[in-house]
Amino acid sequence: MPNKIEDVFGVAAAIAKGMGVTFKEMMSPTVTEYYPDEPAKFEERYRGAHVLQRDANGMEKCVACFLCAAACPADCIYIEAAENTETVRISGGERYARVYNIDYNRCIFCGYCVEACPTDAITHGHGFEVASFNTSTLIKRKEDMLAPIPPGAKPPVIAPAGGPAAH
Amino acid sequence: MPDLVKLTIDGKAVQAAPGTLVIDAAKMAGIEIPAFCYYEGLTLQAACRMCLVEVEKMPKMMTACTLPVAEGMVVRTETPQVAQARKYTLEFLLTNHPLDCPVCDKGGECELQDMVFRYGAGESRYTEEKVHTPEKQFSPVVFFDAPRCILCFRCVRICNEGMGVGALGVIYRGVLSEIAPNHGDHLECDECGACIDICPVGALTSGIYRYQTRPWEMQHVGAICTHCGDGCKTTLGVRNNRIIRGNNRDHSGINGEFLCIKGRYAFDFYDHPERLQAPLVRKNGKLEEVSWSEALDTVANRFNQIRADGGTFGVIGSNHTTNEENFYLRKFAREVLATPHIDHHRTGDVTALVDALSGKTGRMATVADLYNRKAVLVLGADLAREHPLLSFQIRANYRHHQAHVYAVTPGPVREDKYAVASVRVASGGYFAALEDLRARLKAEPELVIVFDDSFKGPDVHRLVEFGESLGIPVRYICLVDYSNSRGALDMGLVPGEGGMRLDEMLAADLSALWVVGANPFKGTPGVPGSVARKARFLVVQDLFLTETAEQADVVLPAASAYEKSGTVTNTTGEVQRLKRAINTMGAKPDLEIMGFIARQMGAAGALGPWVPETVFAEIRRTVHGYDIPLPEIDTGGAAPTTPVNGRVTEAGGPRPDLIRSDHNGLFASGTLGRYSKVLNSVLEGRLDR
Ligand code: SF4
Ligand code: SF4
Ligand code: SF4
Ligand code: SF4
Ligand code: SF4
Ligand code: FES
Repeated sequence: MPNKIEDVFGVAAAIAKGMGVTFKEMMSPTVTEYYPDEPAKFEERYRGAHVLQRDANGMEKCVACFLCAAACPADCIYIEAAENTETVRISGGERYARVYNIDYNRCIFCGYCVEACPTDAITHGHGFEVASFNTSTLIKRKEDMLAPIPPGAKPPVIAPAGGPAAH
Repeated sequence: MPDLVKLTIDGKAVQAAPGTLVIDAAKMAGIEIPAFCYYEGLTLQAACRMCLVEVEKMPKMMTACTLPVAEGMVVRTETPQVAQARKYTLEFLLTNHPLDCPVCDKGGECELQDMVFRYGAGESRYTEEKVHTPEKQFSPVVFFDAPRCILCFRCVRICNEGMGVGALGVIYRGVLSEIAPNHGDHLECDECGACIDICPVGALTSGIYRYQTRPWEMQHVGAICTHCGDGCKTTLGVRNNRIIRGNNRDHSGINGEFLCIKGRYAFDFYDHPERLQAPLVRKNGKLEEVSWSEALDTVANRFNQIRADGGTFGVIGSNHTTNEENFYLRKFAREVLATPHIDHHRTGDVTALVDALSGKTGRMATVADLYNRKAVLVLGADLAREHPLLSFQIRANYRHHQAHVYAVTPGPVREDKYAVASVRVASGGYFAALEDLRARLKAEPELVIVFDDSFKGPDVHRLVEFGESLGIPVRYICLVDYSNSRGALDMGLVPGEGGMRLDEMLAADLSALWVVGANPFKGTPGVPGSVARKARFLVVQDLFLTETAEQADVVLPAASAYEKSGTVTNTTGEVQRLKRAINTMGAKPDLEIMGFIARQMGAAGALGPWVPETVFAEIRRTVHGYDIPLPEIDTGGAAPTTPVNGRVTEAGGPRPDLIRSDHNGLFASGTLGRYSKVLNSVLEGRLDR
């Protein structure tokens, strides 16, 4: 009954192979992430919540050109522009975004805004914890999205108290 | 009609009148030849070389914008050589052009952007550092960014030819050429903004619109300028319930591309900090903010009580409110308040003109007539200051058709520069001057006579007699001051049989005086201090706490022309539609306010619905001359009214002494002008007062 013997060996070999994988994985380093006990890791290109970048001087890169808003298929970016003056200088260009809101109820994280931005001001960060029980908190303001001022940077003019501040 | 010239453009057989430029002939055949410096209606410049085309038998490429068509000409616009020429021209224009598009106000509607996108070289071979000159402020209205300028000279030409101002010029030569204002470091001009709108790029930008938004972010609402009586169409750019800019770049309406500073920028009164946004009722001698229902109740109860007691009402209407509102107000006064005492500030004697022309048809000139007719006689008015659109039309008529212009005025006027005759007259000297001109006027094939309040009552009749005695076709324009002065008259805001006139009402002991959108208590121009009120109860509807509103018992905050729908009639009797652009919190259109008062009084049934369209339908049925074609005005055009063709009588006889124009200059607009930031910020405005 050569077939029976072949069967037994075949099964044994399959089990050995399977257990081989098991033992190999037992010995190799684990890839499971311990989120939320440990922070999640992302590929560089991951498109998470937006970050509004600053230049080396700490000025906002956004010049309120509205191109991101125009490119956005979900129409979720709202901007109000204002002019930089002698005393209030917020961005590197002539104009800055006095108001810059993204409505995360609508944003589909397509990255078109990032693509459209001529100054590389709007980028996708890796923030993904945007869930909320209250949809009204999902409209993020400029202040929520701005990158911190890089250490050592000296913005040329800091807005006087009460005015639109450099954050 | 001269024979048409036959030519071929890109293999298409084209026929055009002799003298037509190749660029226009191509356009008629549906072939676009790109151009920067060529602008219809202005002199030729041939500065940009964008319009180069190949012409058979000509050794070099030709500028289509200066080349007249010729019999048998063969033009090619799509050859590789032409494509290359366009590309190189653009590359050349871009050599020192900054990469400003993201912050440039023109971005999105920039002709240079469009051209580069379509014909251009996306990449630059120019690696040297660009010459940068800082932006300059020519005036509160006009800003200039030299590196963005492509030296097409459109601005120079529109200012010189179109506006007749000539405030812009070119300094330096070659690569250093720069547009410069007439006073070295600043402009003193009409501040009309025509140069800004005509600039194909973002070199000239406006202080009002700068850096506020981008063109695609706005909605564009066609409104009618609420300042002078010329009735220019202004397209308001609206974002978030705010008016951000005005212009007329689509060249629609009776004014084409023309707008003066008031139509283009003086919409800014709407968010003046003193704008009334809640009704006020006088309590213990002081005006206090109350709710709309309380204010309306106060008015309605008092009106009803006066009606029951048999008291007298006086009603004063407005030169700014719509035809619908004026019509409704008149009906309200006559039918509900049963009073003949109704009037408005009369600024020109249209009644006398219509009366003098009775029995004749088609004798009222339109704005277009000033451009098309062969001769124009201007009497009294300084048109460039008081009626900028009419002045523009006459100038364009002279430039394009060499029209003969006669100016008979008290002082020097802009028309002098090209008039065939300029005569200075003292008041009372008009008819002697006209007699002197009789022979020359008689020799004209046709004539438009424009006159202001220097001619009133019998003088108007005498003027019409003079005109009719010339034996040529004559048309007339009687100038009135404000956006709907003409409409107020047409809708019958005039005293009924035995009714008091405006001045008499102010002095009379009325039980109630109701002032809708007017400021009759402001006193005489030049004399400080306002007139004190006599009426026992004063209701005022207005945008601001004017001298009249300050004395009121009830003030109801009204919406401006840009915040409501309806129709207005300009000084030449052309009807145009207003579309609501924005809402201002707390203020209501006058029509709605009057409707609510009627409802509170329990009298709404007699007056019908206070819906602009419904009221206008009634106007078309019942007001003589207003049975105008609706499609015309619904598509943003103007329809001329056909005024009453028969004797017009004024109840109580004419009182020409009560007709007076405010003679607002270019930077003034009656009471409303005080609340415009831009009118008060320009230097010329301060000099002009
Ligand atoms: S984020 Fe970029 S694209 Fe958006 S307005 Fe700012 S500069 Fe323009
Ligand atoms: S003028 Fe036109 S091309 Fe030049 S920066 Fe402005 S938008 Fe861009
Ligand atoms: S604003 Fe008008 S008047 Fe002044 S420079 Fe420009 S075009 Fe000329
Ligand atoms: S400022 Fe504008 S309109 Fe004037 S020459 Fe320069 S590009 Fe042309
Ligand atoms: S000419 Fe008169 S109607 Fe035209 S924009 Fe100026 S003020 Fe307004
Ligand atoms: S359009 Fe012909 S040269 Fe400018």
